[in-house]
Amino acid sequence: MAMKNQINPWLASNVWLLVLGMLPAFLLLAALIYFTAWAFSFSFTDLELVGRKSVNWSWVGFENYVRLWTRKGFLDALWTTVIFTFFSAIVGQSVLGFLLAGTLRTTKSNLRSFIEVAIMLGWLLPDIVAAFLWSATTSQTGLINNLIITPLGFKPVNFISEFALPVVTIANIWKGTAWSYLLFSAALDSVSREVVEAAKVDGATPFQRIWLVILPIIRPHIATNMLFITIWTFTYFPLIYALTGGGPGRQSETLAIFMYKQSFGTGKLGYGSAISVAMLLIVGALSLIYLRLLREPK
Amino acid sequence: MLKRNLMATVAAVAMAAASVIPAHAEITFMYATWLSGLVEPGVANFEKATGETVNAIKLPDQGYDQRVALDLSAGTAADVVLMDSFMVSELASAGYLHPLDELAGKWDQYQYYLKGLIEVGSYDGKVYSLPTDTDVRMLWYNKANFTKAGIAMPWEPKSWADVLDAAQKLKDAGVEYAFQLPAGTKQGEATTMQGFYMALLGADVPEGDRNRLRDRTSGKWIGDSPGIRKTLQLYHDVYVGKQLTAPDLNYATDIGASVREAMANNTIGILASGSWEDACLWDCTGANVPSREERDALVGWTPWPGSGDPGTNATTNISGGWAVGVNEKAADKDTAFKLVEAIFDKANFEAWTIANHRMGVRTDISESPEYTADAYLAKATALAATTTGRDTVPGYQTVSALIQQATADILDGGSVDDVVKEYHDALVDEFGADAVEVYQ
Amino acid sequence: MENEAHSRAMALALSFMALIWISPFAWLILNAFDPAATGRLAIPQGVTLGNFAQAMSGNAGRQFLNSVYIAAGTATLTVIVGIAAAYPLSRLKIPGRNAFLWALVVMRMLPSIGVLVPMYFVSQSMGLLNNYGVVLALTILNLPFTLLLLKNFFDTVPVELEEAAYVEGASLWHIVTRIVLPLSRAGIAVVWFFTFTGAWNEFLLPLIFSRTEQGFPMSVGLYAAFGQNGAIQYGFLAAYSIIYAAPAVGVYFLLRRNMNTGFAGVGVKG
Repeated sequence: MAMKNQINPWLASNVWLLVLGMLPAFLLLAALIYFTAWAFSFSFTDLELVGRKSVNWSWVGFENYVRLWTRKGFLDALWTTVIFTFFSAIVGQSVLGFLLAGTLRTTKSNLRSFIEVAIMLGWLLPDIVAAFLWSATTSQTGLINNLIITPLGFKPVNFISEFALPVVTIANIWKGTAWSYLLFSAALDSVSREVVEAAKVDGATPFQRIWLVILPIIRPHIATNMLFITIWTFTYFPLIYALTGGGPGRQSETLAIFMYKQSFGTGKLGYGSAISVAMLLIVGALSLIYLRLLREPK
Repeated sequence: MLKRNLMATVAAVAMAAASVIPAHAEITFMYATWLSGLVEPGVANFEKATGETVNAIKLPDQGYDQRVALDLSAGTAADVVLMDSFMVSELASAGYLHPLDELAGKWDQYQYYLKGLIEVGSYDGKVYSLPTDTDVRMLWYNKANFTKAGIAMPWEPKSWADVLDAAQKLKDAGVEYAFQLPAGTKQGEATTMQGFYMALLGADVPEGDRNRLRDRTSGKWIGDSPGIRKTLQLYHDVYVGKQLTAPDLNYATDIGASVREAMANNTIGILASGSWEDACLWDCTGANVPSREERDALVGWTPWPGSGDPGTNATTNISGGWAVGVNEKAADKDTAFKLVEAIFDKANFEAWTIANHRMGVRTDISESPEYTADAYLAKATALAATTTGRDTVPGYQTVSALIQQATADILDGGSVDDVVKEYHDALVDEFGADAVEVYQ
Repeated sequence: MENEAHSRAMALALSFMALIWISPFAWLILNAFDPAATGRLAIPQGVTLGNFAQAMSGNAGRQFLNSVYIAAGTATLTVIVGIAAAYPLSRLKIPGRNAFLWALVVMRMLPSIGVLVPMYFVSQSMGLLNNYGVVLALTILNLPFTLLLLKNFFDTVPVELEEAAYVEGASLWHIVTRIVLPLSRAGIAVVWFFTFTGAWNEFLLPLIFSRTEQGFPMSVGLYAAFGQNGAIQYGFLAAYSIIYAAPAVGVYFLLRRNMNTGFAGVGVKG
């Protein structure tokens, strides 16, 4: 093990070259940290988008953070975001992506290409257009009502009015599953056939093969996927905004929408920054849990 | 308290950098797509007349307000800027706009602008912008549904009770959106203007600005008043108490198209909206609008009644619109204003106003034979006589957003008491307890 | 035999799922070919290519080039800068590098509109309010993801291969360009593609940064559909978004083979 910690000779003789290679990235990262620090410090001010306080702002200490707790909005939005992220990203995109990746591996290539195109198109379509597709699908004169509900003799259902959060959740699954699918199908490629066959010979049921053999092997991919889709879903904004605007009322108001409304609707950039920082801390804590997932069980 | 003029510091650094670059002689101009029909011919006329080139940038309506605010604060905005009139006072108070009194005073067409509308584009006694258009607000109603519900037409409600009564009949007759009253944050200013403020103006007596969001005498925002409570109660009746309307139109991806479709499918009973619907209920561009007779057979309109309580306004109205201003940093303000003149030159302005069913902002246009020949415009313009404007002082944008949020919270089932308290506290957060007052 | 029936049922189920998955596209297709598209879900009275012709007229060519420039430029710059830093990060045992990279990724979740204001002011002072600035800003925003992914790909390249090459007298340059990069070619393609699609879809940065209409990419041009007087031209919108998404889909299929194997290396090694 000691050998591993030593620098390999072709690296040792070129340490300065390697450092030089890292330099541009570190300069850009420094810029990112600088901008982020700026956004961070905004959260302690009453800076606004327009008007007097956009010029003559002042420090307000932790006032913005206190308001996260004392004023309506943040806690509700946090709860909505947790539900939205859990069902659309972790349950929906991740599980569906995994199942698709697992089944399509053994599927004929035509069908596979067809499904790949379908999920890839959803992923690549502009958010605003995706919102139009989904509002046309779920509206009272839309696809689901026209093709299913009305022919079966029921009264048309107003999905956005009555099931706003489920609609945006499903729309997000539709839009985002492509990434999890790609990740898991590649991850499954890396599981060696021999290991699975060996388990089969030992009499493991299909469920046991997945649970005890395959999942542990692709654990790192699961963790990466969790981190990325949690971040994306937590901050995902355009599709929900275009589809429901966070409404009706606050029914589908996630933190990202709440933040946008505070920053650009109400114009309170300082408060908006405080919301972002709080989001960051929450996901930071979640990522610690994901990091634990990475550790090999003893 | 430590105060730093952050934006100004950065802007100063930027200007030092910018001064290295040779100054452009050309005039720059930024505008939103929806007004291209007005400004593009104006720019062409200006270029032809003066020989100057205009560097115009047409921006999507989406994100336009943000870009205006960011550009002006960074000093990168164009010389001439189109903006929603509610932003004028905010931008003027930050020193981004150039006062136009002197320049406009020398322009022979300036005298025709309506006084009230000039005030909307003013701040602290100085004029900072000229209006492009204005509007009035009213209740539109679907005649087929009114027939179905057995409501007499022409419909002339005298109080909120009359409106709610009609809506109830419509609902009983199976009309899904019996009273489409703009609500929630996605409608943005439409909630404040077409919905909340129209009701508020008739909710209480006008004395002491008890029917407004701001007490114009004391300069304080009103955090709680019987008028605000009554207006929120109206929202509660419509969306929660009597469930007269499903809320989803307020959250549609394209609200205008959804309302249009609902009206065409006869699923709307009463629609609280504005004068533009005379075209927009069919096609906002005015291209595929049916004849006057056909339109009149399908929909009618009536002024918004007051609540019916003693001393309140019999009918209410409030007006908004967009405006053009000149950047304080514009190098050549005389030429910049020449561009403003060209855009608003009578021939160009009048053609656009009439073609797009807009309401005239100048007497020379609204009294012209072409304009008065349009019976609808003439009748709607009569409403403008008693109109009022938004509280376009700095901070209005925030207050308006808070009002939109309050209606959303009502939709969510919040009680009027809780929502008012939330609104009041948010106002205090924003402006300090000294700047907020309460009417009993 | 039982297996065949099983797989047939599976194929049926998958086809059904695919059908559900693509059904929302009905709106897009119906409106794109409808000469009088209204945004409703309705069978068109006629079929036209006029919407596509309109979507490809005017500034569309210019906007397409700008999109390619921004997306490909960002992806390429990000990947080059990323490789130069990710290889040393993978090979040199710098303490805390993983925590550092994870922290950067988490930090990146501050929405880009949160850092937009400071970015705008700095770009302005450096004369970068143009598409160079957009590329640079997007590169900065994408770098954390890129670094983490690339480092993980490099981690999976067996160090023994590099050792062998060194023994045979290869220089560092040779080792990187002849062994490390070809072996992680697929992973690089993955990272490039993700950055590419992200930049292709970026709306706010180019909108705010560009000083002229000539500088707008397709993501901004899409909003021409939300035209005069706030009325939406649905035929144009639908046709434009098909044209808009097509190049990215094409790029995906060009890279697909690489990507399918490339994803195997994405996992994070704690």
